[in-house]
Amino acid sequence: MAKSEIRDESGKRVHPYIPELCEQLRKGDCDRREFLRTATLLGVSSAAAYAMAGSILGEGPVKKAVAQETPKMGGTLRSAMRVQRMDDPATYDWTEMSNQTRAICEYLTVTGSDNVTRPYLAESWEASDDLKTWTFKLQQGITWSNGDAFNADDVIHNFSRWLDPEVGSSNIGLFGGMLEQTADGGQRMRDGAIERVDDHTVRLHLSEPQLAVPENLYNYPTVIVHRGFGVDYEADLARNPIGTGPYELAEFRVGEVCRLRKRGEYWGGEVFLDEIHYIDTGDDPSARVAALASGQVDHVYEVDISAIDLVERIPGAVLHEAVTAQTGVARMRVTEAPFDNLKVRQAVVACMDHQKVLEVAYRGRGKIAENHHVSPIHPEYFQLPGLTRDVEKAKALLAESGVSLPIRVKIDLGQAEAWHLGAMQEFRQQLEPAGIILDLNPMPGASYWDVWDKTPFGFTQWTHRPLGVMVLNLGYKSGVPWNESGYSNPEFDAALAEASATLDVVERRAKMEAVQKILQDDAVIAQPLWRSVFSATTDKVRGYEIHPTFYHQFHKVWLDT
Amino acid sequence: MLIFVTRRAATMVLTMIAVSMLLFAALEVNVENVAVKVLGPYSTDEQRNIWLENNGYFEPIYVRYFTWLSNFVVGDFGESIRFRTDVSEVLWPRLGNTAILAACVFAVVIPVSLLLGVLSGMREGSKLDRTISVTSIVTTSVPEFASAPLLSAIFVFYLGLLPGTSGMAAGFDPVQLILPALVLIIYDFGYVARMTRASMAEVMTTNYIRTAVLKGLPYRRVILRHALRNALIAPFTVIMLQINWLLSGVIVVEFFFAYKGFGALLLEASLNQDIYLIEACAMVSVFVAVMTQALADIGYTYLNPRIRFS
Repeated sequence: MAKSEIRDESGKRVHPYIPELCEQLRKGDCDRREFLRTATLLGVSSAAAYAMAGSILGEGPVKKAVAQETPKMGGTLRSAMRVQRMDDPATYDWTEMSNQTRAICEYLTVTGSDNVTRPYLAESWEASDDLKTWTFKLQQGITWSNGDAFNADDVIHNFSRWLDPEVGSSNIGLFGGMLEQTADGGQRMRDGAIERVDDHTVRLHLSEPQLAVPENLYNYPTVIVHRGFGVDYEADLARNPIGTGPYELAEFRVGEVCRLRKRGEYWGGEVFLDEIHYIDTGDDPSARVAALASGQVDHVYEVDISAIDLVERIPGAVLHEAVTAQTGVARMRVTEAPFDNLKVRQAVVACMDHQKVLEVAYRGRGKIAENHHVSPIHPEYFQLPGLTRDVEKAKALLAESGVSLPIRVKIDLGQAEAWHLGAMQEFRQQLEPAGIILDLNPMPGASYWDVWDKTPFGFTQWTHRPLGVMVLNLGYKSGVPWNESGYSNPEFDAALAEASATLDVVERRAKMEAVQKILQDDAVIAQPLWRSVFSATTDKVRGYEIHPTFYHQFHKVWLDT
Repeated sequence: MLIFVTRRAATMVLTMIAVSMLLFAALEVNVENVAVKVLGPYSTDEQRNIWLENNGYFEPIYVRYFTWLSNFVVGDFGESIRFRTDVSEVLWPRLGNTAILAACVFAVVIPVSLLLGVLSGMREGSKLDRTISVTSIVTTSVPEFASAPLLSAIFVFYLGLLPGTSGMAAGFDPVQLILPALVLIIYDFGYVARMTRASMAEVMTTNYIRTAVLKGLPYRRVILRHALRNALIAPFTVIMLQINWLLSGVIVVEFFFAYKGFGALLLEASLNQDIYLIEACAMVSVFVAVMTQALADIGYTYLNPRIRFS
């Protein structure tokens, strides 16, 4: 049946799902945040989405999140953060790298600390009903710092680079629907996958429905660089810092300092800080806090869980907390003995007392996880019956598995985060009564990334992603590059594909029941917790909100000096 | 003396060649591993092969070793993976920073520990000796990883007097040197003072000192003219060995205070598997170690005529 098109007051086409979404908000089937997120994903401007939500929920006009203060111009924000390489943003593999770049170059979309994705360099977007065609209208009147006008060619150039295997960008995994297989078994961008509609409009043609395109466009390596990057000049942003953002690179020394200076006119409105300095205080979390305590910095990128009490005792320091979908998973490689035996895997996960691990390793600051990598803060999370530790069940499963007891297994874990070791030390004690002896092999973070997708048993940290289906598609679908466990289950893949193509959050949530249950029953991961994350500022820093993935959005930050 | 110096220099060169072979074997023999480290884990086999070909990694291993060694000799250490620049551009400034820190530490440690050691050793068993000895033992027994947080808690968090980190992001700031230097001084002065004391106490029991005292020489002259020179031989060697310790043994202090020195660089290179930087840091460490050893031996020989003439 052909659907009639719905248009708003300005004549712009409104996605046909919007009225239903309004109805869901009215009935309480989705909350305000999910409404805002989905409406903006479907091309409704954030102001209009806030107004709609306000009208439906009887809140009146858009509410401001904080009491209004008059921002003061000027000053330098000094942030304690690792200063990493700044060459090709498409190949970034640390969030810190993107933060150094974030005020120089910008993204097509922006996901705020409220998990809502809004337009940025893209003025608006529109999805086809089948979620296979996405049209992005770009902001007009933006100029690059070298004087060139920003237009569709820049966007096409970036997509072409991201999807070129020679570049080596992880973005290739985000836009699978734009790829095709090559004769030698590789992948490349499909002809016609991106269309230049006009100077300020591009259209993506996907071979499969994809829900999270706008959110993927704020994934940290998807920063938009100038169309000459890697073509007319070397693909090295530190040497060629051409951007559309409000700041320019003034000084850069890896491992020491990254100094950003406000440049002239900025298309996105007023920014308040004259300069942003990233100061490298090394890997020691206590050094960052010491720098804050002695007034050497105004902002700390991340405060380790072990240091939050200390920060709270520093006069004039403010601790910021974000509930996130950041986690760590003790994942078993299902193709390697003894984890190729389902009963062994099920016995391992049956031993985990999630609440205890959360309390011991992360001081209870977070939520317990349920071994399926979908968080309660994900909009499509389906609540399955709770998990309880059951040693007797684990023993019975081990008896059925045919392995001789005690069984000895070794887990590799990177020490990027101190809590990883604490979590696994606690897990080792929980496994022991069932006859599973866990040896811990802590290793430097960089060394772990050499073996993360090969080791039979490894503890891997995963960052926050706004949707549950995003991480499942990245890490658990058959054959994808980041499928570290080697898990392959056609039934799971089909259920996940169906959920990923469902826009209606209520329907998607219903479909996630099967997805989460299959993954949980197949016991691929023992996932103890979802962690809260922390950063800190002095009380002079205003307008700052911690982002769940530590993305810095300093445009509206100012200093009350 | 010339023969002695030549022998020491030859031993030094041989030691460095042996270490360079070990280093090369550990880090450069597995060429696939080198390519992965340089190009990253997501690089394709084709990219790695092209890179290996372009950089001569398919040459026979002895050719590669000699090329590698000759590059090292002329100061071409390769490009750092983490810093994306020539290793030498990172290495020398960091070495300079550690030298500044070491100079500050020595400027305090050498006079203080020698003075205390001599005073202590002059009158073994006196109150002054016992006080200095106990203080020295206590300070030397507290490792840097304990004294650094303790001093930081007192001077940064409690008193708010000193900066918590020493990264010098805004340029050289002597105040930022105080805490890392203090931690090292507290740990080191006791050790050198104890060695000086032991040496001084031993000298004070010798016959020639007793003779000097009995023949009526002023005590001050006995100490300055007769005892001190011999008593300083052992501390001299110990002080020379402290240069090694200050170069790579101060990783904890540099890490804790985010001081951009050689120790922190070595740690960073290791954690990031920056192989060319690791190689350069290792060779510099070995060079300094053998060089200080050689200087200590030569100095020892100069100070002690019995060795010189034997």
